[in-house]
Amino acid sequence: MTRFLDDFSVGETFEAPPGSLGEAEIIEFARLYDPQSFHIDPQAAKSSPYGGLIASGHQTIAWGFGQIVRLGIFAGDATICGADMTEVRWLAPVRPDMPLVARGEVVEIRPSRSHPGRGYLKIRFSVDGPDGTVASFYTNTVMRLRAGGGDA
Amino acid sequence: MPDMFFEDFTVGRVIETEPWPLTQDEMLAYARKYDPQPYHTDPAAAAQTMFGGLIASGFHTVAIASGQFVRTGVLGAAGKGGPGMDDIRWLAPVRAGDVLRTNVTVREARVSRSKPDRGLVTFALEAVTDSGPVLTASVTVILGLRNPG
Repeated sequence: MTRFLDDFSVGETFEAPPGSLGEAEIIEFARLYDPQSFHIDPQAAKSSPYGGLIASGHQTIAWGFGQIVRLGIFAGDATICGADMTEVRWLAPVRPDMPLVARGEVVEIRPSRSHPGRGYLKIRFSVDGPDGTVASFYTNTVMRLRAGGGDA
Repeated sequence: MPDMFFEDFTVGRVIETEPWPLTQDEMLAYARKYDPQPYHTDPAAAAQTMFGGLIASGFHTVAIASGQFVRTGVLGAAGKGGPGMDDIRWLAPVRAGDVLRTNVTVREARVSRSKPDRGLVTFALEAVTDSGPVLTASVTVILGLRNPG
């Protein structure tokens, strides 16, 4: 079912099923997008400030987003485009096989001034480690169609 | 490249990166795992959307641009990770066959107050394709000092 902008409400929260990132997928991602020794080389990572291999922050935030997407909340044809992402913070290292939970909370819904049929949905996401430690958080705004889907 | 430390990243310094040709295979592999929405994962469904075809996940373009920066090796000696990113803006869709060219400029640099052996450097990333600008972002990195005070 398509959820239009008006089908979301400020304060609404989402929680995805728990998961984790394995050593092989951490290294595979980082070789392409973040080839620093503490992301790609388990031996070298031991003498890094992190004391062992950790996931790229880019992988952590994308993993969390993917988990939320799989909840189906963005399904259908109401997304127009991603607008921006602000305040991405990597607070705690994500290590191989660490249990992770992706969460989201709608923080703002704002109709577009120039396109009455559209508006902005702002969601604050987090990827949380064991015992509720926040590993990272980030706020993402997307443009979506409003109720009924009539674009203008 | 000679090892670089915090002191080498003076405000305004530009860091050159290598172009990144983006293939459809790479886009699909990324999106199936990290952003499984039809306009990122399904070329036929994407053709029916307002984008008229497959577009790269925004998280993917940020990762590519940041990866181009990391691949320069300038963080290799002194890089200690980073606290995060700010002000990421997606300016235009990125499609298979596009070549991303990313410019990196030092925007701000300061020595850490709590840990005087390291500093925080904020880099402005701007990615363009032949069609024009596609992404801007600000990335902050922790770097060790060559000569800790």
